[in-house]
Amino acid sequence: MKANMKELTKGIFKENPVFVIVLGLCPVLGVSSQVSNAIGMSAGVMFVLLFSNIIISALRKIIPSSIHIPAYIVVIASLVTITEMVMHAFVPAVYSALGVYLPLIVVNCIILGRAEAFASKNTVFDSILDAIGMSIGFALGITLIALIRELFGSGTITLFPVGTFSGVINIPWFIDNPIRVLALAPGALLIMGFLKAFFDWNTLRKKDR
Amino acid sequence: MTKNIKYALILLSICAVCAFALALTNSITEPVIIKMDAEKRLNALKAVSGGYTIGEQKEVSGHAYVTYAIELSDNSKTAGYIVGLKSAGYGGEMTLVASYTTQGEMLFAQLLTHTETPGLGKKAEEAGYMDKFKGTGAAKPVPTNKTMLGDSEAQAVSGSSVTFTAVAKAINGGSEYVKSLGGAK
Repeated sequence: MKANMKELTKGIFKENPVFVIVLGLCPVLGVSSQVSNAIGMSAGVMFVLLFSNIIISALRKIIPSSIHIPAYIVVIASLVTITEMVMHAFVPAVYSALGVYLPLIVVNCIILGRAEAFASKNTVFDSILDAIGMSIGFALGITLIALIRELFGSGTITLFPVGTFSGVINIPWFIDNPIRVLALAPGALLIMGFLKAFFDWNTLRKKDR
Repeated sequence: MTKNIKYALILLSICAVCAFALALTNSITEPVIIKMDAEKRLNALKAVSGGYTIGEQKEVSGHAYVTYAIELSDNSKTAGYIVGLKSAGYGGEMTLVASYTTQGEMLFAQLLTHTETPGLGKKAEEAGYMDKFKGTGAAKPVPTNKTMLGDSEAQAVSGSSVTFTAVAKAINGGSEYVKSLGGAK
């Protein structure tokens, strides 16, 4: 049970895919301009990572090592295409907001990285825990960057519209004094750099103890 | 040899299962997407019609930018045209609808489909992006280059020059096409 919990929680802090393993940075930097985009991308990555880990783990004794990469890519690309079609049909606003980054989940290193490093060597149950932990870690990473960028860069927090709620929360003071550069592409790199430094400092501090 | 055939069969089986899953998902999502796209297109046509009566759609083939044209009428008199446009943006093909007076002056335009980069070219779908082209195409030329824009407008398209040029060329192409139809009847 303790080992299972370790598989689940390692992706959240200790092996966080964004700040520690530094995987999948393209969508993290690209779509972290709004919180709603970060949540949508996290949902897409979670679905693809969970099912790719399940399928690849279940087929690990059938897929020979010499053809494992094309086999994994076919599975991952199919799952991404399914995600894209479902989002296009049922959550068009998120589909439109994610744009080209949605099909790019195919080449997100987290998906192939976990398939190669974990799912191909472990049981289906452990692979599910790994996928959930890594997805939560990815979601926390991208949402944290998006929250900081949107709050300080635009003075808003954009969620999803529900009924009469437009989805956009205007934050007093911040909306009148935005640090525009944070909402632009360089802002993503700046915030990513500061948070990576914080995670590295925290890891070293724990090692020193 | 036997090993290669075995590998090929394994890959073939995986591909077949994936193809079946994709076909199943497509059969569920396709009707929803088609219905949604038709509604979006209808709303866009209404939005750019400027209150004129929308006529029948006529397909246009062989034009670099124009894919179809719809006559706009005011009390049975031709008031202008709505033109379906396509252009090559940074992320691939983009489609637009734009309305013009019979002299080729752009009235309204709206981006329909595109795969432009969020935060950059994707700004072209924002309300107000097309304002810089309003009233151009007849007496005033369509700004097909950033140097033809004012400082604030040029700043707004900074970082997405390819998208701006693609939209501008399509709108200019639509204007030229409407002019070629011969003006008011």
